[in-house]
Amino acid sequence: MSKVFQQYQGGSNKVFPGDKVKEIHEASVHLMEKVGVKVHNPRARQIFADHGAQVDHGEAIVKIPRSMLEDAVAAAPSRVLLCGREEKNDLVLEGTNTYLGTGGTVLYTLDLDTGERRPTEVRDVAGYAKMTDALENVAFFVINCYPQDVATEDVDVNRFYHSFANTSKHVMGGIYTMEGLKDVIRLSEEIAGGKANLLARPFVSFITLIMSPLVMEVTYTDFLMEIVRYGLPLTTPAEPLAGATAPVTLAGTVTINNVESLAGLVLAQLIRKGHPTLYGTTSSIMDMVTGTYMAGAIESALINAGCAQMAQYYEIPIYATGGMSDSKIPDCQAGYESAATAMIVALAGANYIHDAFGLLEFCTTLSYEKMVIDNEIVGMALRAVRGIEVNEETIAADIIAEVGPGGNFLAHRHTAGHVRKEFFFPRVADRQMRRDWEASGSADTAARAKVMAEEILREHRPLGFAEDLEALLRKNYAGIK
Amino acid sequence: MIQEIYTKVLAGESDGVRSAVQKALDEGIKPSKIINDALIKAMDEVGARMKSGEMYVPEVLIAAEAMKAGLGLVKPLLEGEAYAVGKVVIGTVAGDLHDIGKNLVTMLLESSGFEVIDLGVDASAEVFLEAAGKHKPQIVGLSALLTTTMASMEATVKALREKAPGIKTMIGGAPVSQQFADEIGAGGYAPDGASAVDLAKKLIQ
Repeated sequence: MSKVFQQYQGGSNKVFPGDKVKEIHEASVHLMEKVGVKVHNPRARQIFADHGAQVDHGEAIVKIPRSMLEDAVAAAPSRVLLCGREEKNDLVLEGTNTYLGTGGTVLYTLDLDTGERRPTEVRDVAGYAKMTDALENVAFFVINCYPQDVATEDVDVNRFYHSFANTSKHVMGGIYTMEGLKDVIRLSEEIAGGKANLLARPFVSFITLIMSPLVMEVTYTDFLMEIVRYGLPLTTPAEPLAGATAPVTLAGTVTINNVESLAGLVLAQLIRKGHPTLYGTTSSIMDMVTGTYMAGAIESALINAGCAQMAQYYEIPIYATGGMSDSKIPDCQAGYESAATAMIVALAGANYIHDAFGLLEFCTTLSYEKMVIDNEIVGMALRAVRGIEVNEETIAADIIAEVGPGGNFLAHRHTAGHVRKEFFFPRVADRQMRRDWEASGSADTAARAKVMAEEILREHRPLGFAEDLEALLRKNYAGIK
Repeated sequence: MIQEIYTKVLAGESDGVRSAVQKALDEGIKPSKIINDALIKAMDEVGARMKSGEMYVPEVLIAAEAMKAGLGLVKPLLEGEAYAVGKVVIGTVAGDLHDIGKNLVTMLLESSGFEVIDLGVDASAEVFLEAAGKHKPQIVGLSALLTTTMASMEATVKALREKAPGIKTMIGGAPVSQQFADEIGAGGYAPDGASAVDLAKKLIQ
């Protein structure tokens, strides 16, 4: 058993050449210096001003000089450790290490029993966390739904409590209120056994956001500053939509995303040099037929891959997006959109690819079946990321000579010795002869995935909490359902 | 020691099986017990794991090879005791040079305790008939991969039915089906290696 979660090196997919990375970088510096970012939060604006940025408080515009950006990029760690509650689930974000996990946050799920779309509840936070814990290719749990069956002020603590209770993989999430953020940090300290333990092994991290184009608003920026001061890892993703809140050209969208995400990163580094901040993108396009946000667009994957190249240039780990679909049910469209986008972003070597499991319908609806299917899609993507290992043993010239013309390799020891790591073995895909497939009920992909999801929810036993800890947490936070 | 043989067969370790079998013999364990309680029992487990998808074809084949390595040591010591559960003559029919499927079935049958006489590829009806007369098997297995050789499979099955009516035939290969088996009057059809073993066991009952 390796000590950390399975590691794969992406990075073979480049969507533009290296000199174009510099071109985008120079354009970004120019925009930061000349156009600036609108920072509505006066406290954040003051921090920028105190460190020498050119600030117009009246217009709320902050112009970030090249040197300030360069200092921040140099100060931000190139290696960010996101821990699980168990070491085997630790993620090492650096270089082109590639992990995929869940994301959201959605308000609806397809009910596993009825197939009907219904509001998400606390049981879904728990259910999807448990699925994350059980499925081998899900590296982390970005809390993917909003429980609609608890009071607004109890949402944050319920989201994180039920996540920790059901998976020992890394938990990341957005927050809704400052009080909720403080609750979640205290809850995490209690689980870790104190602040020092929590910071040494951060099994929780947070997402704030930048508004495209080029805006940092008040509340999320307050969250950002609070989290950075405390010291837990953070990402500040931007979500420019090509053609709407960004230029329709993908290079322009990558550029604006670059400026926005770096602006968040600069603020974090100004507050605390060396803070573990992830470069972030959730960028996609606007559909020009309906005028709405699209999640499963191929261009989204290209923008995310482009952002991964930018992050690799800055040597800062990236939080990216891939593997979503706009279909309403776990059907063929759901499969091909998720597969194409997850594959492209994974091959680009983005480090922390969220939204890759279970998401349908413009990132508004979850599906348990799709999460199982996505586990297989991501398995295939990771196999592609691994590429072809070439050495004397794998070229196998001596084996080819030994078997000779007209022989076969099936019964050779070399085959038995390598097959498990050379081949990906799917579990959802049906590879039976028609006769056997018919005998087993002629089930389609979603129906087979449903059976597997039901089995996980029924039988999987996550690490959970010791009895006394659970009692303590429930006593301290009466709002926990 | 029986347990060790069993474990080594599952792991596909031929050398390990040979030395464990030798030790078992040195300890005075009866050859028939080694075959039935260790070697064949291990292959039964291999068959089960293959069906459930826990073991893959190449792993099954090296386990079968390890089993045969052990069997080679024990077989000469059997004094008139029959160990084989049945006898099968097998071959790829005339005009067809493909043998991977047939070899797979051969190894799986052998490792399930069958004695198998392999006629190789491109075997004519005459070759099958002659072998049937000489070896007196309960079953003749015929394999074809090319659609074009289905006719020679039909001719061979017909010749066997006429001239060796007591022998059951079973067929397999990509182009054939249960329907084709029924049409040509074959005794049975198996879609893959593991079901070929089940079918053979059924046919000899």
